[in-house]
Amino acid sequence: MNGSLRSLKGAALTALLPIAIALVVIALGDGAQVRILSIFLINLVIVIGLQMFMGNSNIVNLGHVTFMGIAGYAAAVLTIPTTIKQTIIPNAPFALATFQLGPIEAGIVAIVVAMVIALIVGIVITRESGISATILTLALLVIMHTVLANWVDLTRGMRALYGIPMTANVWILLAAAVAAIFFGRWFRDSPFGIQLRASGESRIAAESAGVNVRFLRLTAWVLGSGIVALGGVLYVYLLGSISPKSFYFDTTLLTLAMLILGGMHSISGAVIGVIVVTAGFEIMRFFETSPIIFGVQIPEFLGLTGFFLGLIIVLSMALRPKGLVGTDEIDESWLRRRKSGLAERR
Amino acid sequence: MEYVVQQLLNTLSIGGNYALLALGLAIVFSVIGLVNFAYGEVIAVAGYVMFAVFAIGGIEYALVLMPIGVLAAVVISVTLERVAFRPVRYAPAATGLLTAFGVSILIKNFFITIVATRSKSVPTPAWLAHQIDIGIARIQVIQLLETAVTAIALLLLLLILRRTNIGLAMRAAARDFDMVRMVGINANKVIAAAFAVSGFLAGLAAIFIIARRGVVDPFMGFTPVLKAFVAAVLGGFGSLGGAVVGGFLLGALEVFFQLVLPASIAGYRDAFVFVLVAAILVWRPQGLVGTKRQFGDKDE
Repeated sequence: MNGSLRSLKGAALTALLPIAIALVVIALGDGAQVRILSIFLINLVIVIGLQMFMGNSNIVNLGHVTFMGIAGYAAAVLTIPTTIKQTIIPNAPFALATFQLGPIEAGIVAIVVAMVIALIVGIVITRESGISATILTLALLVIMHTVLANWVDLTRGMRALYGIPMTANVWILLAAAVAAIFFGRWFRDSPFGIQLRASGESRIAAESAGVNVRFLRLTAWVLGSGIVALGGVLYVYLLGSISPKSFYFDTTLLTLAMLILGGMHSISGAVIGVIVVTAGFEIMRFFETSPIIFGVQIPEFLGLTGFFLGLIIVLSMALRPKGLVGTDEIDESWLRRRKSGLAERR
Repeated sequence: MEYVVQQLLNTLSIGGNYALLALGLAIVFSVIGLVNFAYGEVIAVAGYVMFAVFAIGGIEYALVLMPIGVLAAVVISVTLERVAFRPVRYAPAATGLLTAFGVSILIKNFFITIVATRSKSVPTPAWLAHQIDIGIARIQVIQLLETAVTAIALLLLLLILRRTNIGLAMRAAARDFDMVRMVGINANKVIAAAFAVSGFLAGLAAIFIIARRGVVDPFMGFTPVLKAFVAAVLGGFGSLGGAVVGGFLLGALEVFFQLVLPASIAGYRDAFVFVLVAAILVWRPQGLVGTKRQFGDKDE
């Protein structure tokens, strides 16, 4: 029980930083800054969902955005008022154009749909290890995107779906992000998480110690996909309109870069990664739009944020493949340092 | 009959292009286990160098531009190995894959920043689009060249792999890299050679891709790398012969889909192809034509 109390404290400590950032921005920031904060909080949810499978099982996942897309579209189609649906998707299958749900019911349905699909494909994906599993997740992403882009009756194809009631506000997003941090940390420190991490280091050793690797992978995959789905639902409720473009390689690589920069094996890594990449992006975006610094007009540099993203991935892979935080949670490393004694400090 | 021959010729030229691409991806994977998703950007670099020589140097002769494009692809491929992939050489495959994605984003955005997001045109000689009547069917010069160049490149590669020391070392490295190093062969040389061959094949493919499009843009590498990747998986990832077969198979599959799929579901073509990719990975990881791995072979 001591252990679970410690992970609770650790999660609280990890949540402190995003909470502090959120409170400062809400108190002092203008509308645009609160909007950046909102996207930041949604990314936090998605990255923690990604961490649950990828960080614990040690399999790179390129397909997490699939569930963001499925849940996002499900929530959108369910919540758009019927009057709008009659004009933009009148022929939606399952009589979807004839009724609408409230945001909470729709959100729950969307997440359940995403998790059921995750379970079905997960049974196949978790059979594989290493690079083949990763390639399967990539195939999943391409398939989902192709379906979203072509199922015109349901999704309007490449054109945007609009008219979704914008029911998400920054407090709801903050609550979701904090809940995700606690849930992610709980899973990581639970017997499931510990056994799964052991299998990530050596599958053979873990299996010979009686760990049911496939079951654990599947559990982490489905739960993680559920969290990513929550992120997708919140994203849709924040923006009010979506198109398949939002759920493809750009989002995949952005959230992936956040996780690997921070460190994929820990929740604190995920949180730090999202904070650092978001901050870096906003700085780059400032330069991208031809700012005036000390009276000098800096030329426009489109593509700078993307350049920065690529650079982060390449450099962190080469210099710190375990991420800024490393393998352990921040509080764990602190504890270890305290235990090893102040006298021994180098 | 004429129709069948026509479609066969289409398959040969499209498939030839995919075979070149897939082979370039497979040779690197077979030697160091890297899924090089920055491969598409090698093609883009070839295109942009051709564009730069044309726009700045004012040279528009295809016979000058094309070799420059191929050379650029070889240089960038070897350079990428040196600066980006060497530091992660002994890391797990996933690390290399992510590095490749990073490199791909980096180069793409470099072109967006330095050149433009919009596409830029590269001159293509008019004679490439000429149609030749060969009795039972009509064929474009570019298709003929594509098929011929593919055949020559494959023969050349076969000769290198079978008749030279470095080729032998590359084939051996695909089986067991540690053994290759143990007999005293320089690992860096073998890997650099693999990247050079990969770049050369990408450069050849790039020439035809650009000749067809007539323009270059920062995102032009995305489709070719996905095709190469699919073809390589179809043939069994890492198998060189498999990559060639996979390339032609993908070409045939695309021509087939184009002919039989009704317009209403034609958009789902990519989904079908990737379902097939997933199915092969799960049930026949050695590819459609490959043989099962033997004990002692390099594993994934």
